[in-house]
Amino acid sequence: MAFKKVLTRHVGKKDCHTLKFYKKQGGYAQAEDAVKNQDPDALIDLVKASNLRGRGGAGFPTGVKWAFVPKHTDKAKYLVVNADESEPGTFKDRVLMEKNPHLLLDGIIICSKAVGIHHAYIYIRGEFVFAYRRLLEAVEEAYSDGLLGKGIFGSNFDLDVTLHRGAGAYICGEETGMLTSLEGKRGEPKLKPPFPAVEGVFGCPTVVNNVETLANLPYILEIGADAYKKIGPEKCPGPKLFCVSGHVENPGTFELPMGVNLLELINKHAGGVWKGRSLKAVIPGGSSAHVLHADECDVAMDIESLDEAGSMLGSAGIIVMDDSTCMVDALLNIMRFYHHESCGQCTPCREGTGWLEKLVHRIASGGGRHEDLQLIQDVCDRMVGKTICALADAAAFPAESIVKKFPEDFLHAIEQGGSPASRNRSRAAVGGGTDV
Amino acid sequence: MSEHATTVTWTLNGKQVESPPGLTIMEAAKLHDLEIPNFCYHPGLSIAGNCRICFVESNRSPKPVISCSERIAEGLEIQTHSEMALEARNSVMEFQLINHPLDCPVCDKAGECVLQDHSYTHGPDRSRFEENKTIRHTKKLGSTISIWGNRCIVCTRCVRFCDEITGTGELCVVERGDRSVVDVFPGLPIENSLAGNVIDICPVGALIGEDFKFEARIWDMKKTSSVCAGCSRGCNIEVQSLDGFAKRIVARENPEVNEWWICDRGRYDYRYLLAADRVTDASAGGEPIDSDTADSSLNDLVSENGGIVGILVDPMMTCEELHLVNRLSSTLSDCQVAAWSTADGEAESFPNGFTISSDLHPNRAGVGAIIGKDAFSTVAKGLRRSLDAGDIDLLIVFAGFPHPDLEKKWIESIGKAKVRIVFSLQSGSWCEGADLLLPSTAPLEKEGSYLNQDGRLQRVRTLIAAGQQPFPSELVRLQALLTHLGERPRSVSSSGVFRELASSVEAFSDQSHSTLGESGCVLSSGKSAVGSMGGDA
Repeated sequence: MAFKKVLTRHVGKKDCHTLKFYKKQGGYAQAEDAVKNQDPDALIDLVKASNLRGRGGAGFPTGVKWAFVPKHTDKAKYLVVNADESEPGTFKDRVLMEKNPHLLLDGIIICSKAVGIHHAYIYIRGEFVFAYRRLLEAVEEAYSDGLLGKGIFGSNFDLDVTLHRGAGAYICGEETGMLTSLEGKRGEPKLKPPFPAVEGVFGCPTVVNNVETLANLPYILEIGADAYKKIGPEKCPGPKLFCVSGHVENPGTFELPMGVNLLELINKHAGGVWKGRSLKAVIPGGSSAHVLHADECDVAMDIESLDEAGSMLGSAGIIVMDDSTCMVDALLNIMRFYHHESCGQCTPCREGTGWLEKLVHRIASGGGRHEDLQLIQDVCDRMVGKTICALADAAAFPAESIVKKFPEDFLHAIEQGGSPASRNRSRAAVGGGTDV
Repeated sequence: MSEHATTVTWTLNGKQVESPPGLTIMEAAKLHDLEIPNFCYHPGLSIAGNCRICFVESNRSPKPVISCSERIAEGLEIQTHSEMALEARNSVMEFQLINHPLDCPVCDKAGECVLQDHSYTHGPDRSRFEENKTIRHTKKLGSTISIWGNRCIVCTRCVRFCDEITGTGELCVVERGDRSVVDVFPGLPIENSLAGNVIDICPVGALIGEDFKFEARIWDMKKTSSVCAGCSRGCNIEVQSLDGFAKRIVARENPEVNEWWICDRGRYDYRYLLAADRVTDASAGGEPIDSDTADSSLNDLVSENGGIVGILVDPMMTCEELHLVNRLSSTLSDCQVAAWSTADGEAESFPNGFTISSDLHPNRAGVGAIIGKDAFSTVAKGLRRSLDAGDIDLLIVFAGFPHPDLEKKWIESIGKAKVRIVFSLQSGSWCEGADLLLPSTAPLEKEGSYLNQDGRLQRVRTLIAAGQQPFPSELVRLQALLTHLGERPRSVSSSGVFRELASSVEAFSDQSHSTLGESGCVLSSGKSAVGSMGGDA
C-alpha cells in the first residue's frame, strides 16, 4: 500500500492553515466524536494499542504516559504541549504550527478528553514568531467556533488553551525545564521523581507531549490502532516528519512512514548530496545524536533500528555533511551550542560543556595535541548519565562519536596547525566573551 | 508509608542496616555515622540535587545515584566507596575545580571550605584543564555581603535560603552554563535581617561577609560556643576570636531554638565590645582608681552602710550573677532587688518560623525565675518610689546594656540615692555622680547561663581566655564582696555558683552546667518561671 501523507497532506494549498479549510477536509470530526461519544479510558487504551511513540526525542509510548496521570485527584490536570522546538537540525513542529495549526488543536482536544484535562498550555519557542501568530489565529478561530472554551462541541466538556512563548533557551525544551519556565521561574530541569504525570506544572499532574505526537491522534482515531500499526515498524509506527538539512540539493521536511531508509531519504527525497559530492557523515536525530559515518547510513529511520546502529531517532533532524566537511569545525559548532545552552545547574554539564568547547576550539585553531583526543573521551565519559537532564549526554554523544569516527580530521588539525577553515581566517574568541 | 513499616532494612557498604522509612540515603547513612560528601544539600533547605558530589552506587540503577534525593527502600544496596561511586565523585570534583580560581591563600573561606575538604578526599592532585578559566563577577550584593563569582559553584543554597527561609527572594542565579553566578536583581540588594546566614551556608568562599573579609585565618581563631544576647530567643552562636578580640559570630546549630540560623543583629553586633564609650576602668567620684582600690571601696561602701539598700539588676546578667545578687540581698537587713531594661526593639518573623524577639534581653526569664516575677513591675515601681522619696541609702545599679536606651525617669530616680555604686558597660548619664563606677562585662565576656523566653537554660561562655580579663568580672567582685561580708569562704567558678543556685531555687534543681551541654535544657518548671512577666515600672 502506497504511503499517504497525513500530517502535511494539505501543506502548500491555499489557506491550509484556516479553520474553514481544515473543517472542509473533515477536521475536528475525531475530536468531536471523542468529546461526545468516547470513554476516556477507551481513548487511552486505543492510543496504547496504536504503539504511538513520542515524537519529541525520547520516544516514550504516549498512551502509557497518559495512563501515569492519576485518575482521581483533587488537583487540576494540565496538558503542556512542547512546541519549543530547538534541537539543531529540527524544524518539523514549525511546519505543523505554521501550515496546519488546527491539526494540533484537534490532537489537544483528544488528549484532554482522554486524560480529563481542562487546560492546555502550548509552550512555543520564542523565535517562532510566525508560527505563534498562526497558532494564535487558530486558537481564536477555535474559540469563536465553540471548539475551545466552555462546553466544546455543545457537550459539557470545557477546555482552555493558552499560548506561552519561550524566551530563547534550549533547556526549556526539556520537559521539566519547560515546566519550571512555564511556572515563571528560571528554566531549569527538575529532579525526578516526582514525574510530571504526578507532579508537573504548578505541582499538578501534567501530560507533556510534543506537537507532532498530538498531531498523530486524529488519524489514529480515524483509522484505528491496527491500521495505524501497519504504517512502518509495528513497535514504532506511524507517519513521521523528517527534517533534512545540510549538504543536500533539496533540504526540507518530508513526511514518510516511520522506518524509511536513511539513504533513500537523502538520495530520493532530499535530492542527494549537493554539488555532486559524496556523503561523509550524517547526524540522524538532531545534534544530540551520535554521528553516523557514511558507511553506516544504510539504516531504517525508526527508534529501534537507530538504537541498534548506535545512534538515535531523536527529533528526526537529519544533518547531512559532504566530503568537504571538516569534522573538527563541525564538532566545534555543536560544542559551542551546548556550552551556550547548558543551564548551569549540574556540575558535570556546567563545566563539561565549556571544557569540551575549549578543547575542540584549541584543536581547531592549531593548539591541539594527540592526548587531547583521549581527554575529550574522558570528559564525555564523566558527563554522560551524571546530570538531572540529558543535556550533558546530548553534548557528549556528538563529541565522543565524531572524535571516534573521524580521527583523521582531528589528527590532521593537530599535526597541520588547525582545521582548514581556521588556517584561512582568525577565529572569534571562544563562547561567552570570557576567554581573554 | 504504611503504619507497619517502622524500619527499612537495606545494605550500606555490604552491611545490612535498619533505618526509619522515608529517609534519603544521605540522611540514613548519617545515622550510621557515614557522612556522604555534599555541597548543595543543606538539612534546612529543599533538595536541589545539582552539585552531584553525593553520588553513590545503587543496585537499583545502572548509573550512580545522588544520595541527597534518592530514598532508602527495602532491599536497596548502596556502595559509597565502590569504583563507580568514587569515579563519579572524583569526576564531579575535577569539574568543580576546572574553573575554580584556587585562590585559597587569599580566600576567607580557606580552612572551613567544603570544596577544600572534598578536594582533599576526592580531587585530582593535578589539573588536566589547560584552557582559560571562565571569569565571573566580584561585586557587592548588599551592604554586608559580596559575591566572589569565580569561586561560586552554583549550589544555590543561598538562593534557596532567600526563597524558603526568609521568603524575600533577593538572590538568583544569572547567566547560564559555566557563566552562571549568584546575583541580585538590579536595585534590590540583599538586606533582610537574616541575610548573613548565606555567608555561613556558602560551602565555598563565594559569599563573603564584608565584616570579616581579610580579618583573620580560620585556623588561627579561638572558637567559643555561646548564646546570642541580642534578644530573648537565645540563638546558639559560635564566637570566633583572635587574641581575645571577637572577629565574627556564626550560627551554631540547635534544632530546638534557632535551627541553623541567626539574625544579622546577633551576627554583627559585637562592635560595642570595643566601643569608645565603654567603661574599662573603675572610678570613684569621677576620679580613676585602680582595681584593688575599687574592690576595697566596694566592700567598704556596702559593709559600712547600715541603711536601706536597693539593687537594680539588668536582664543581661547571667543566672549566676543574679544568684549572687540574691545572696547579697539576703545578707543585708533591708534590701529590695528590682530590675530594669531598655526599650523594646522590633520583632520580626519569617515564613519558615524563625522569629526575632522584640525583647532585647537574653535573661529576662532568668530574672523572673531568680529575683522574682515582679522584679520588673511592682518591685521596680516600689524601688523607684523609695528612690524618689529619698529613702534609699545605698543603690547598686547594674547597667550591662550594649545599647542603653533607658527611661529618663529611671535615671532621674537613680540620682536620688544617697550612695550609688554602678556596674556599667557603657558610660552614660546613669554613671554620672556615681560614688563608685565599676566596669561591667559584656555578654560575650560572661561565663554562666541564660534562660530564654521559652524556658530553655543555655550556657554562655566568655571569649576571653582565663587570666586575660582586663578587670574582675561581676561574678568575681560579687563573690569577693560576699566573702568580705562573711557570707562565703571563697570564690568559686560560675559552675560552682550555679550549683548553689540549683540547690536554692526550685526551678534550677537537677541541673548543672554539664547537664546543659551544647544545646541547653528546658527547665521542668520553666513554664511557671517564664510566666507572665510584668513590663517595666
